Amino acid sequence: MVRSKLLFAVAVVLSSSAVMLGTVPAAWAADPPKCEPDKLATKYPSLVGKKVIIGQDGESPPYSFRDPKDFNSIIGADADMVRAAFKCIGGQFEFKLGGWSGLLPAVIAGQADVMWDNLYFTTERAKQVDYVIYMIAGTGALVKKGNPKNITGMDTVCGLTATAGLGTVEEAAFRDQSEKCKAAGKAAITLMTYPDIPAGTRLIQNDRADILLSDLAIVDQLSENNPAVFQRGFKVVSDFKIGVAMKKGNEDLLKAIADALTVLQAEGVQKKIYEQYKLDPALMQPIAIQR
Amino acid sequence: MKSRLALFVVSLCLGLFLLGCDNRSGGQGAPGATLSQLAGGGSPVGQGEAGWLGELLGYVVLPFLLEGALLAVQISALAMVGGVLLGLGLALMRLSSYAPIRVIAWIYIWLVRGTPQLLQLVFLYDALPGIGIKLDTFTTAVIGFALNEAAFSAEIIRGGILSVNRNQTVAAASLGMGPLLALRRIILPQAMRAILPGMANDTIGMIKGTSIASVIFVNELTFRSQQIVGQNFKFFTVFAAAGVIYLMLTSAISLLQSLLEHRFNHELEPAVRGASSWRRFVGWGPSWLPGRVAALPAGVVGTAPAIPAPRPETAAERSAHGLLWREHLLAASPQQADQDARPFVVCDNVCKSYGGREVVRNLDLTVKRGEVVTIIGPSGSGKSTLLRLINHLEHVDWGEIKIDGQYVGYEKRGTAVRPIRDLAKARADARIGMVFQQFNLFNHLTAVQNISEAPIQVYGEEPKRARNLALSLLASVGLARHADHLPHRLSGGQQQRVAIARALAISPRLMLFDEPTSALDPELVGEVLAVIRRLAEAGMTMIVVTHEIRFAREVADRVVFIDEGSIVEQGTPAEVLDNPREERTQRFLRMVEREETVLDA
Repeated sequence: MVRSKLLFAVAVVLSSSAVMLGTVPAAWAADPPKCEPDKLATKYPSLVGKKVIIGQDGESPPYSFRDPKDFNSIIGADADMVRAAFKCIGGQFEFKLGGWSGLLPAVIAGQADVMWDNLYFTTERAKQVDYVIYMIAGTGALVKKGNPKNITGMDTVCGLTATAGLGTVEEAAFRDQSEKCKAAGKAAITLMTYPDIPAGTRLIQNDRADILLSDLAIVDQLSENNPAVFQRGFKVVSDFKIGVAMKKGNEDLLKAIADALTVLQAEGVQKKIYEQYKLDPALMQPIAIQR
Repeated sequence: MKSRLALFVVSLCLGLFLLGCDNRSGGQGAPGATLSQLAGGGSPVGQGEAGWLGELLGYVVLPFLLEGALLAVQISALAMVGGVLLGLGLALMRLSSYAPIRVIAWIYIWLVRGTPQLLQLVFLYDALPGIGIKLDTFTTAVIGFALNEAAFSAEIIRGGILSVNRNQTVAAASLGMGPLLALRRIILPQAMRAILPGMANDTIGMIKGTSIASVIFVNELTFRSQQIVGQNFKFFTVFAAAGVIYLMLTSAISLLQSLLEHRFNHELEPAVRGASSWRRFVGWGPSWLPGRVAALPAGVVGTAPAIPAPRPETAAERSAHGLLWREHLLAASPQQADQDARPFVVCDNVCKSYGGREVVRNLDLTVKRGEVVTIIGPSGSGKSTLLRLINHLEHVDWGEIKIDGQYVGYEKRGTAVRPIRDLAKARADARIGMVFQQFNLFNHLTAVQNISEAPIQVYGEEPKRARNLALSLLASVGLARHADHLPHRLSGGQQQRVAIARALAISPRLMLFDEPTSALDPELVGEVLAVIRRLAEAGMTMIVVTHEIRFAREVADRVVFIDEGSIVEQGTPAEVLDNPREERTQRFLRMVEREETVLDA
């Protein structure tokens, strides 16, 4: 109890300083959000008695994956943040696992309430969902141990075979780079797309592809856990923002999650979770609602 | 072929086993070593000792994966039931005589078969909420797979129905069976043989295909194994374990398929149907296993001890059954005595065309009660069509036909008659027995079942009584020993006698014979004609289309010569056969006589 009060004090100080830095929307400055699970009915009345359905894919570590000790439980940076946030909000939630590509359509259709699974912000998506931004994307290049093809940046990929998730920004980046290679008189990139990360890593492992481009944390974890097979070729911190998405019009839910994340970030819970899953805390972004 | 396949399976298993051993002995740098390093969180030492085979088996029995398999089975089972029922409806729509119904079914199948199932599932799950229909994951998966399966099974079922000879439907209709009853009792049981392999394919495909439902949050086997791989990257053992689980499920379906195929194999005698399911499943097996008989060629099956050779019936038995048979017939027409003079069958100005070609034109014919009329004439002269018009297997285009003063399945509308809706009931009430050139016995039913089918299913006769009647009728045609034989085990003459007994079982007031001996070998003609002769003696009203001029002379009260759809001349056998007045009759008789002389020679 004493500890939480202390944490709260720290949170107030931190958020006040954040206000001074101008990174938190001004509307919250007057009344900094705090965890008040008992006041759910007054703060977010529409969440009372509602079980918020959180869509995740359960197959992308370190964000959302099955606990190796108990396959019935979902862990990961995103999953743990969900738990912490709803503990703070005082509401009920439930994980619903489905293929990543089905998550956003389900949120738009109302079959799930929230997609909380490493989703990048795009203006196109923001036409149908509201975001609570909490992180910035880093991109990592996974290569074979010893980096046999000397891949150190995008400009070194010309003439090689590259792989990225189907329909991802990484795929687009390779296509873009391939054009640049051709323009510079070099050989184009041979591009292979994969349906899920494990399938992509097998391409690298079996020398079917030379470089895999994906989320930085995923690449880092892969190379750390399999040091004899993989290593990181290079990393790029992009300006892609990552956020929690929910269908437009759920103002209570949007505010509840934004408030909770603000507190979690201020109290250092987010940082702790990121460190636990070996995510670079430098990727954390000030919490902000983006529509 | 089969032994080569077995050899392949054995060597594959052996190879896998050796691979496992090789890894256990632990060669660093071998593919197995890379895999265990990929494992990440696991304990490499333990895995090295147990080998990947142990790890694989561990995943096979992992409740987390088995729950996913159970979900796939539940979805597939429900979706198959729904899909097959819906598919049956669509198949019948596709076979409908009404074009709009055919078109609707065709469009459905075209649309569903032609679009990716993934999109269908996403549509059901994510688009329907837009119009207020919000289905949960499981329901969506069941409905989605059922709707998809309906389109595929509709075509499989339609193929099965089409594979059953049309004469089976005609025979069922002649016995007063309605379309649905005929479908259920006669057509589908025979179509099952053609339907089952395709259905088993679809079921297996569906169990494996439920994995695409992960986009609508179905956590089945493949998605769960992907999640494990996503977490520990042991894709080889996890996916192999999932493969083993799938293989177990699909093996169960293959076994079920084999059992059902055996059940619906109407070429097997009932005694042989109890054959070993192992042999049935793998297709071969040691000779000491029961069911060896099933694998023998059809000709050899007859010598198997399970089916005793029929001993010839004694004269006493035959005459005893003969009496029963006469009693049965007398019971059918109680007022026979006092209404002898009135015409029983009246065809008045009957016309029928097929595709613009007139087959029966302005035909008038009356048949008195108890009269035996034989119709002779060249092929294609409209004789068979006339019979089918009389028991309303075909509609008349013009004119009218009355049996005992009643229409069979028509009603008067102004000056013309029009077919009524419930034709089957009208045919059943008319009690007109028909015997076909090709016998048209129900291939999947034994002789006695063929006979008792209509009494039980159409006339609501109590099964035991119907069977006794069927046995006595079989005895009356000299086939008591063949009661439990399937049609394909009987000779043509025997089949035709069963067919006559089947027609008699509905207590007919009128018997129609459509060239009953034309498909028979000459030495078998006599046994069938003998039965018809006895019927004539018993006072049955009969119209017999035949080429047997001698038989016509002997049995007929009246001979009718038809050519090009109309009656050329008619009269007593002495008048028409011995002193024909018309030139066309003379020419026809000369020709038939020549053929008979050749045959006799």
